[in-house]
Amino acid sequence: MAKAAKKIGRYKILGELGRGAMGVVYKAEDPNLDRVVALKTIILEKDAEGRGDYQKRFFLEAKAAGKLTHPHIVTTYDFGEVDGIAYLAMELLEGTDLRKRAQEGPTIPAAEAVEIGCQVAEGLAFAHQRGIVHRDIKPANIMLLARGPAKIMDFGLARMRVADHKTSTGMVLGTPRYMSPEQISGQPVDQRSDVFSLGIVLWEMLTGRRLFAGTEMAQVTHSITCEEHEPPTRVDPELPAMLDFVVARALKKDPAVRYQDAEEMAADLRTCLAELRGREAAPDEAGEGSRTVKLDADGEPTLAAPATSAIAADTRLPVSRHFESSAALMRLAKSPRMGRAPRPVGIFRRVLNDGPVRRLFLVTLVAALAGSYVALA
Amino acid sequence: MTASLVASVVFLKIQDFARRPASEQARLRAQLQAVVAVTAAEIAPAGRLMLDAADGAAIVVLDDPRGALRLAERALTAVAVGLPLSAGINHGALQLAGRKGGEGMTGDGIAVAAAVAAFGAPPRLLASRSFRDALAEVAPGLEAALGAAGTFTDPGLRTHELFSPDDKAIQRRSRRYAAIGVVLVIALVGAGVAARASTVGQQPFMEVILEKVPYWRDLVQKVSY
Repeated sequence: MAKAAKKIGRYKILGELGRGAMGVVYKAEDPNLDRVVALKTIILEKDAEGRGDYQKRFFLEAKAAGKLTHPHIVTTYDFGEVDGIAYLAMELLEGTDLRKRAQEGPTIPAAEAVEIGCQVAEGLAFAHQRGIVHRDIKPANIMLLARGPAKIMDFGLARMRVADHKTSTGMVLGTPRYMSPEQISGQPVDQRSDVFSLGIVLWEMLTGRRLFAGTEMAQVTHSITCEEHEPPTRVDPELPAMLDFVVARALKKDPAVRYQDAEEMAADLRTCLAELRGREAAPDEAGEGSRTVKLDADGEPTLAAPATSAIAADTRLPVSRHFESSAALMRLAKSPRMGRAPRPVGIFRRVLNDGPVRRLFLVTLVAALAGSYVALA
Repeated sequence: MTASLVASVVFLKIQDFARRPASEQARLRAQLQAVVAVTAAEIAPAGRLMLDAADGAAIVVLDDPRGALRLAERALTAVAVGLPLSAGINHGALQLAGRKGGEGMTGDGIAVAAAVAAFGAPPRLLASRSFRDALAEVAPGLEAALGAAGTFTDPGLRTHELFSPDDKAIQRRSRRYAAIGVVLVIALVGAGVAARASTVGQQPFMEVILEKVPYWRDLVQKVSY
């Protein structure tokens, strides 16, 4: 298509930047403004009936995304449709997306990961305040500029893609690994769904692992809806404990107890960032004091800690690394069967050990003897 | 071989933890760790095992229900310094969990303690029936300090008969036993006096009965011979 279409609308194609599920992204020039842009094309449906709806929705979403001008959101300059191809002209960014950065580069330092998470949360908060939900927050949609902030890409386009797949195959596709439980189960989503997706991205940046991995869709769905994540500090004990709480709150399965908006999450991430920056500034101080007791020396994954309400279903609780429990564990290792269910206390034991019962018994005995003496003497 | 045991579990739950801002969660968690460190210090390291929960902590006390109760009571004093804790104690089955058998614990002992802790509002301490029985077994009479708090049903529709500490229950029990003692003394000594009085200056009661029924007198005499 790149060769055939040297121009799309008024835009002069300069080269291809990438290809995705929906279309191709070109580097293009806007001759009117003499500006180089990223031109994202979306192939519209050929079916005339569905096409009208799709086109209408695309323009609505693009119009809404075009209103978002924020340092952490890729700016949309223009949109339109020509020869069955819808296009979006967006800010052209020099940098790499977070997915490539995670795949190719070394593990992202904690402070940088938190900063990226914070910037994305701020961008999302801005969009959420204007009633726009991204619906497809994932590393590939977060652009890291060579020098400067992280920017969210593809606002509003997820809905187009989901609708497209739903129409054609009856399935919700998109990026299941980063979907919220409500999104993956086909329920209506709001800004809290983006918060969940950002929680996954943040967890993966901090740990360098995949959170809800799986080869089958059913496996991923089950993981997202049922499995509890492992706190980041269990993977890297050097991370601030507060990050555990931020991630835990963002990844709540129930949207009602999740962060209610991205601004709330951004505020907490700013606090974490301040702590991390403080540590970087004073590395000697950070090394002092009582650190956690590391039980798992070989770095094997440890158990995550479920909340009280979830314990009825999953009673596994991890041994705390903040306290020394090795003595008890060694004792259990030596005597694998310990204790028994309580038995009822017999009358003789109670008389011997229970003060009031013993006194009553003695008083009764003395009274009985006294009564007998009086009667018989 | 995986270790399985029956032990007391003190579950300390921070109320409404999930709904609090993360900065507050971190502060509360740090406070809880400090509280657990102080309160668990009186139990020997080989006698207790600390477990993490997302919204609290569980302390497994291996063979000292009295110590578990003391620990829970002391931990709840932290409510005064702004840590909204509730506690649940249970005595039940546990097992070491995890691939290496030492990463954590699982079992009904934890599940019930967590359910019990969820029933109480800070600074309430609730104990299960099995914990009360365990306490009675190691220290008969001490279980009286746990008064009936009612029957609760958890989200899994499991019913729990729960008890909560009652400072005056021991005194009330002592007074009750003393009153029963007094009544028994009066009754037994009074019966002796009555028996004695019935014999003074007149024919004994039994003699009167036996004379009225001659057949019984013969029978008694036969048996006596």
